[in-house]
Order: sequence, then C-alpha cells, then structure tokens
Amino acid sequence: MSRCRLVLWLVLVAALAARPARAGEVLPPEVLTRAEATVPPGAPPPTQDHVLLEFTVSEQGRAEDLVVLESAGPAWDAAAKEALARWTFKPALHEGVAVAARTRLSFSMPARREVDAGVGAADGGAGGAEAPHPPHASEVFDDALDGGHGEHVMSTVITGRLEPKSRGASDLRIEVGQLKLVPRQTAGDLLKLAPGILLTNEGGDGHPERIFLRGFDAREGQDLELTVDGVPVNDVGNLHGNGYADLNFVIPELVEQLRVIEGPFDPRQGNFAVAGSAAYELGLKQRGLTVKGTYGSFDTQRVVLLWGPPAASTRTFGGVSLQRTAGFGQNRAAQSARAAAGYEGRLSETTSLRVQAIGYAAGFRSAGVLRDDDLRAGRVGFFDSLDPRQGGDATRASLSGDLHYHLGGFTAHQQAALVFRSSRIRENFTGFLTDVQLARQAPHGQRGDLIDRDSEALTLVASGYGRMRGALLSRSQELELGYFARYDVVTAQQQRLLAGPDVNTPYAKDADLSSRLSDVGLYADANLSFTPWLTLRGGLRADLLTFLVNDACAVGDVRRPSAANPPGDQSCLAQRDFGQYREPTERASAFGVAVMPRATLLVGPFKGVTLTGSVGDGVRSVDPQFVTENRETPFASIRAWEGGVVYAAKLLDETLDVSARGVVFGTRVDKDLVFNEQEGRNLIGGSTSRLGGLVQARARGGFFDVQGHGTFVRSQFDDTGLLVPYVPDLVLRLDAALFKALPWRLFDAAVEVRAGVGVTYVGRRALPFGERSDVIFVTDANVEASWRGVTLGLSALNLFDTRYRLSEFNFASDFRTAPPFPTLVPVRHFTAGAPRTVLLTLAFSLGGAP
Amino acid sequence: MKRAAHVMLGVLGALLACAGCVDTTGNRLVGIRAQASAAPDVGAVAGQPLRFSTPRGFDVTLTTARVYIGALYFSTVAPTTASGAQEAPCVAPGITTGEVRGGQVFDALDPTPQPFPVDGVGSDLPTRSAALWLTAGDVNADDERTVVLQVAGEASRGGFSWPFEGALRIGSNRVTPPRNPALPSSNPICEQRIVSPVAFEATFSEGAVVWLQVDARAFFSAVNFATLEQGSMDPVRYRFRDETATAEQADTSLFNALRATAGPYRFELLPSGT
Repeated sequence: MSRCRLVLWLVLVAALAARPARAGEVLPPEVLTRAEATVPPGAPPPTQDHVLLEFTVSEQGRAEDLVVLESAGPAWDAAAKEALARWTFKPALHEGVAVAARTRLSFSMPARREVDAGVGAADGGAGGAEAPHPPHASEVFDDALDGGHGEHVMSTVITGRLEPKSRGASDLRIEVGQLKLVPRQTAGDLLKLAPGILLTNEGGDGHPERIFLRGFDAREGQDLELTVDGVPVNDVGNLHGNGYADLNFVIPELVEQLRVIEGPFDPRQGNFAVAGSAAYELGLKQRGLTVKGTYGSFDTQRVVLLWGPPAASTRTFGGVSLQRTAGFGQNRAAQSARAAAGYEGRLSETTSLRVQAIGYAAGFRSAGVLRDDDLRAGRVGFFDSLDPRQGGDATRASLSGDLHYHLGGFTAHQQAALVFRSSRIRENFTGFLTDVQLARQAPHGQRGDLIDRDSEALTLVASGYGRMRGALLSRSQELELGYFARYDVVTAQQQRLLAGPDVNTPYAKDADLSSRLSDVGLYADANLSFTPWLTLRGGLRADLLTFLVNDACAVGDVRRPSAANPPGDQSCLAQRDFGQYREPTERASAFGVAVMPRATLLVGPFKGVTLTGSVGDGVRSVDPQFVTENRETPFASIRAWEGGVVYAAKLLDETLDVSARGVVFGTRVDKDLVFNEQEGRNLIGGSTSRLGGLVQARARGGFFDVQGHGTFVRSQFDDTGLLVPYVPDLVLRLDAALFKALPWRLFDAAVEVRAGVGVTYVGRRALPFGERSDVIFVTDANVEASWRGVTLGLSALNLFDTRYRLSEFNFASDFRTAPPFPTLVPVRHFTAGAPRTVLLTLAFSLGGAP
Repeated sequence: MKRAAHVMLGVLGALLACAGCVDTTGNRLVGIRAQASAAPDVGAVAGQPLRFSTPRGFDVTLTTARVYIGALYFSTVAPTTASGAQEAPCVAPGITTGEVRGGQVFDALDPTPQPFPVDGVGSDLPTRSAALWLTAGDVNADDERTVVLQVAGEASRGGFSWPFEGALRIGSNRVTPPRNPALPSSNPICEQRIVSPVAFEATFSEGAVVWLQVDARAFFSAVNFATLEQGSMDPVRYRFRDETATAEQADTSLFNALRATAGPYRFELLPSGT
C-alpha cells in the first residue's frame, strides 16, 4: 500500500483570511484541521499535478457538495475528496455571522508532497504563489432570502458573478435540483415551479406555450419578460404578439436555475415585465459526456448529447438535442433540433468571461381548436383537427458574451448579444367567418380564416452595470447603476390562406411591416441596510423606446376606386379615392418614455423569517402595428404591490432544508390584453385589476425534494367589475422527488433509484359569456434507476390518462361542420390536453462527476 | 411568525370567500326556440283565404302565401346603424346574439305557430335587430333554386280581376350587375337573400321563444297587379315574373316587399315555457 501525502493550497480564501473584517465584507473560511489522503495501491500515475475541488464550507465548518473541477484521475480524485470531507474549517463570516461559502481547493500531487499543506493553507502565501490555478476573482452574494434578518446564506462565487438580491417574497430563485426528476417536456415547463403559473398550448409542440401568471394572460410572453442568461427572449414587432417569446430553443437539461419575479419589483426588469419576469440560467452539473435516448408514445423520439469538461465550471458545456414525434391525434407531428454551447473562463484574477451560442430549428403541425358542439354531435373526435394546415416553424441563433469584473467593493458587468429569430405560425380559430366581401373585390364567399404569420428579427443587445459597495452606518450598502440597450430590425407579414387541403395560397395580406425598434433603459438600484434586520432595496428605471415602422400595406381598401384601374382583389393598394395614385407604403415613427420606480422593504426580526413588502411599476411597449406618426408611443402600464412572509431554515441537524412563503398581491394594468379569436392573438382591452394570494413551501432532505404551491387570484375589469376571461383563479401544483441508493450493490457499484411526480390542478377558469371551463387535474410521473453511469427511466405524462381540455374558449366560429348556415353565436371551443404519454429513456454518462 | 401566518391565512381566507361573490365575465349563452305564423292582427284563419285591400286600391283574396325561411340571426346592431353603413357585409361577425340555423316553408296564412325544425342558441346580450335568411343553402351561391315565396289568389279593382300566382327564387335570376365596374361586388347576391335589419328589441333567456309573425298583406302593398304578366289564357292566370331583368312594377314590388325590413315581418319574444 503506497501512501502519499497530498499537499494543499487554500487558494482563494487564505489570501484574504488575514485581513480584519470591515462592515459589509466577508472573511473567508479558514482551515482548522486537515486530513491526509490515501491513494489505493496500484493507482495509475496522476494525469496532472493537481486535483482542483470546488466545495462549500458550511456554517458548521464542513466541506460539502464537493465537485472535481480538474481531475488527476479517478483514484486521485477520490482520495482528494475523501480527505477534504474530513477537514474542518472556521466558517466564513459576514459581519460576524457564520455563512456558507463556496470555494476551491487545489491538491498538489506527490511531486510536491514535501510541502506542508497546513502552512500553505493557513497563511495563504507560499503555496498560492506556485499554484497552477491562481486564485479566482470572488465575491459574495446573498441568497434569495437574506432579507433583513441576520441568517444569511452566502457563497463565494468562483467566477465572480453576483446574483441579484431578493426583491421580496415574490422573487423566486428556483434551483431545479432534484425536481428535475419530475417529467417536463420543455424548458417552459419549469415555470410551473413558480406559484400561480399555468401553461397552455393551442399551437402544438414547437409552438410557444401560453403563460398565465397571477391572473394575467401573458399569452406567449407578452406580459412576462423572459431572458436566458441575460439575453432577451421576447420578440418585439412579432405580429403574433408584441413580446412573443419562444422558449423552445432551450434544452431543458441545461437549465440550472430559474429566477421568477412575479411582479415589476426590480429595476433591472425592463419591457414586458408586466406580470413579472423569468430569467433562465443555463449550466450543466453533470460533467463528462452524457448521451440520452428517449422513445415512447406516438412515436416520440429524442436524442440528447451533453458534455461538460470535467475541469471546467458548470457554465462550460455543450448540448445537442434532436426530437420528433408523430403527436397524439390528428395533425400534431413535430420535429426540432437544438444546440447550445457555453464557455466560462477567466481573463485575469479579477475578470471572468462567458460566451454562449445557441441554435434552434423546429417545424410543427398544430391541431388548433375544436368546437364543443361538433364533439358532442360526433362530427369530430377529441384529438382531431378542424384545419390540418395549421402549424409553424421557428429558428433561432444567438451569440452572447459577457465580461465580469470584481475587485474589492466594486463590480462591473458588460454583456453583448446578437440574436436572429424567425418564426412562422399558421392558425385558424374561426374557420370561415372573417373574410368580409368588399365591393371592389370579385364576388367571393368565405375563403377561409387561416392566418399565416411570419416574422424575422435581428436583435443587438448590450447591457451592463457597475456596482459599488461601501460601509455606512456600520453596515454594508450598495449602489448599482446599469443600462440596457436593444435594437431590433424586424420584418413581419400576415396573410390569409385559401381554404382547402394542401392549399398554400394567400388570398389577402393583412400586414406587411418593417420595423426598426430601439429600447434604451437606465436604472439605479440601491441596497440599503439600516440594521441587521431592516433592508430597503429599490430604485428607478427609465426606458426610452423608439419606433420606426414602414408599413408596406398601408392602404387596404378604397371606397371610390379607379374605374380605369380597378384594384380588384389586391390587398395593398396604390390609390386613394377616385383612383388617385399613392404609394402603398407609409412610415410612422414615434417614441415614448417610461419611468418606473420600484422598491422592496425586507424586515427580519426573527430568525429564519423575513417580512417583505414591494411596490413597482412596469410597462409593455406598444405593438408596432399600432404606432401612429408623431404620437408619443403609449405604454401599457402596471402598478403592483405585494406583502409577504418568507421562512427558511435548516432543521433536524441541518438535514432538512425547508422554506415557505405566503404572499398577498395586487396589480392594476391600464391596458390589459384580452384574447381575440379573429386576430388569433391578444388585443388591448380595458384596464384590469387583480387581488390574490399564494402560499408555497419546499422541503429538501437527504432523499427527497418536495415543493407545493397554490395561488388564488381574482382578476376583473375596472369599469364593470366583471372577471377577466380565460385566466385561472386557482392554480395548485405539487412537485416531488425521491432519490435513494439501494442498500445493496450490483457488481460492486451502487444502484440509485429515483422517482418524481408532478401534480397540477387548475380551477374552473372564467370564460366569456359567464361560463366556466372544466377543471384541469393532471399527474405526471417518472421513475429511474442509475448504475455505473447508466440510467434507465420511465416517465408517464398524464399518468391517469385524464381526458382534459388544456385551453377553452367561448367565441364565434364557423368551420362548416354543420352546413349550410354559418354558426355565428359564440360556442365553447377547446384544445385537447395530451393523453397519457409514456416515454422510456436510456442515458449513459461517461468521464465526469456530478 | 404565528401572527404573520394568521394574518396571511386571514387574507387568503377572505380571498377564497370572495370566490363566491365573483364570478362572471358577464352575459351568458342560452338555448332558444323559434316559431313562425301569420301575424295575429291579420285575421287569417287556417285553411281559408285571406281578404284584404291594398293602398293601391286592389281587393285581394289571398289563397296561398308560403315563405321559405332558412335561418334566423339576431344582432346587437340596431337597424338605424346597420342601414346607414356602406358596404355592410352580409354576415358581420362578432355581434350575433342568436341564431336558428334551419328552416322550412311557413304558411303565412296560418295563425297557428309553426316551430322551426331546429332549436337555436343565443346569448343574453341585448338584441336590436333580426335577419331572415331566405335561402336553403349557401347564402353566396348563384345557383340556388329554392322557392322562397309562393303566392296565389286574385286581385280586383274597378271591375277587373287578376287571378295571380307567383313563385320567387333568389338565385342567378336575381343577380344585379354592379353599378360601377370597379366595384364588382357592390350588389352581392347575399344581400338579396338576407332580410336585415328587422327591428327586434329583446334579451334572450334560457328557453325563450322567438315568434316571427308574417303579415302577408304587406307583400302586396305596393303591387300594381295590372302590370302582371299573363301566364295562361284558360283559365286566365297572371303571374309574377321571377327575374329581375324582365321585371315589371308588380314583380319588383312583390320581390322588394319580400325583402322589406319593415312591414311583412315582426318579431316577438315569448318567455320560456310558452
């Protein structure tokens, strides 16, 4: 048995350990006791001269969550981890309070065995100078619940990224964690982890999901600001909806964290943050290479390839996903391809770099809506389609990068991104109803209402901030100044297609816009700590939005056309009354300014408990289609408030991590969006208000992770007091995961079994004409087992095969299913929820450590 | 902590309790029925001729008056608004408050209510007008052959009498050339087939019955029977021409009266259970 004494350097923390603490600063952890590592006899030589470990020093001074960042070989890695687990530390201190801190430690290989690890660690000097991996820039962040109370949970971020501070009880920083075991088909599905969110989809796989949040019908993101690693997802100028956001480009396995703020309470939130915002963060904890294949119901096939270099951070990764399905029922086939790659590295000890590239392409068919009376009469089946030409496609390519600088109390961040998107969606909500016979047109009946929209956009984004931290009132105070700039070049068209099987012939053009849109925002955000239990956060944001819209179809009709040059069926005319010529185009430019104050007060008089109160204003910019020359661009404005209480603690000797919250909230929007079936999208309606409350709790232990939440909200129009249609008033959700290694081993390797279940309950939603939808009650489940890097899983979406209606509407349509007379009175329409879908997954993980 | 939790639970409880008081988006959808008959004030007796005088001085004995009504639609748009609109589409989406989508031939000389063969649906939005669809098929089709009005009887004035008959259709025989070649659809055939807007103030409730009352006398108010075409000599019969292009005063007057929004048609709403 050969023993080798491993030498250590405590890289980052030791260098700072000797300094006295000042207000707002952090004293990193110090090594108290060390243990030597033993490498088994016969181990192959190390592949490099060190093992770099990343771990958390808990408030109790123990090393937890060990991750090998730079490997010297499995045997050496295991020895280093085993040794470090037995070390004890003096925990990091923040203003005298012990906090958890994430840091790195480099074990040197036997070539340096004569160096005394303890000395190197304690004084942080000699060893550090020789470290092959010099100290990383670091900074300290508070977690979501650090409110004014003294029970902070803190971490040292190796690459120097500061997570934004909590904006109250509706600021949900959702670590997916083991809840990844709950089956989810898209990255958008992860939004269900936030309270009060319902996702529906009348467009099929590939079509972005319609998001309902706290009494808002945010459609495909029109009222929810969505970002992925800081890059905006919302489209401006998309005719499907200004703010249209398609999250399908995200590979779900690459979502590391999600932050949802259910309200406009953070000055960093920009355009479309009406109901709130959702910020996805991508990363890959599973290092090495993972290959995953899925096959299941409806000929669903999926292959995923993920890789993360073992020596790199979770932000360095690559992933490819290919997927196809025949879909349940008629006209639901879909296929998609996704690719994403990220790199995180250091330019210097104070500056880190991230680069990310994403590509996405998808094509899908859509069943669309069915009429309830057709179903009852047996004219259609539950999973049929009334217009099989519905569907769409989408592409997205983006490149983004950022630089992050941190030194002492100053942090600077700069990000730039270039995004190209295109989308085409064909939808028919009304059948044969909206094609009005104009006198100038050749006689025609209803030619079909199929809407064919496409949009192409190129977006340049730059954003950044500078943050200063200083001491005042013997407390750490922060001030951040930031900016956001976005420029979009968008072309968008909307046509109507002739009815008929396999007909792809447009008969009318509704819109043909080319837009140049810009949004420049500035914000100031302060984090003021008055006492250990009282914190005020907030500031002001101002956005200037400009619009230059060229309408290539500005004249759609003329009452007195030229007899010599009759316009006939043309959609975009080049004449005025009496046949006078004019160009068919028209430009309009406009601008608007919005100033949005936002503030959050956090009070933490009791251990583990934080009381919060937030107020804020948000805006949604006007759809370029409605921009009028030289008129200040109107905004839809929201004012939101909330009060909440948050509880977070580690119980049972720190083996049980619990958090819970309750929130009461209210919002008022002066120009809300309400679904219009003839346009197939939301249009501006009247002003609305909401009042509601939510509760949420999560408990995590050594073998389980359970979260439940419920939201009740009443949404009403201000002028009439009537309910806002379509939005759910009651949403309940349970996500639960169990994971445990079996007590016996198979071929000398542990077998771990895991299971996840997700249950959604949505109450009867208000529909137009005083009706209510059916209840949605769906259960998804998943079981899997892992052994030696091989994972076999079986998941069932809609486990109990509940026949439910995902979307329901009341409006008039005429699909000619009961000729000869048109149906003009509103009736119930619906889109079918998916039946039970069983998927078998086999995954192989090679060469990495979780 | 406990106090805060109690406050939170109290607020949530109040919100949940409020769920019982909310609770509509306004209005509702209802089922309706429809029936048609001769207008009660006409004095018609089933199986017997109807005798009346016209403003033009004709004494008419009407033995047959059958109207084919294919469908009824009801709208929130008041007649004054719709009639003043230029290029108002035959079918205006989004404002329909009720529909009865199936019809038949109704005897306009029978005061007994004759139910429409299908039930209708509607909403409790205020109804301001009604539309009669005088067709059995596609409202835009040129080749429709359904007889929408069949009349027979005898008119007399000043010692002359005109035994008459007529069967009117609205198809290619009623196509009107456009006034302006640049406006080829200024006279769509659907306009000929849809009698709209007929004044009708009502708010439907579940099970309500729409009663269409037909005053057959109004079909002949402006008819100058002297301009009728003689159809046969033995027996002597006059007939209404069924073609716009060759129509004389009597033909045009009858056809226009058939499509008149005021005069021949009245609507009444009967409560549920009638």
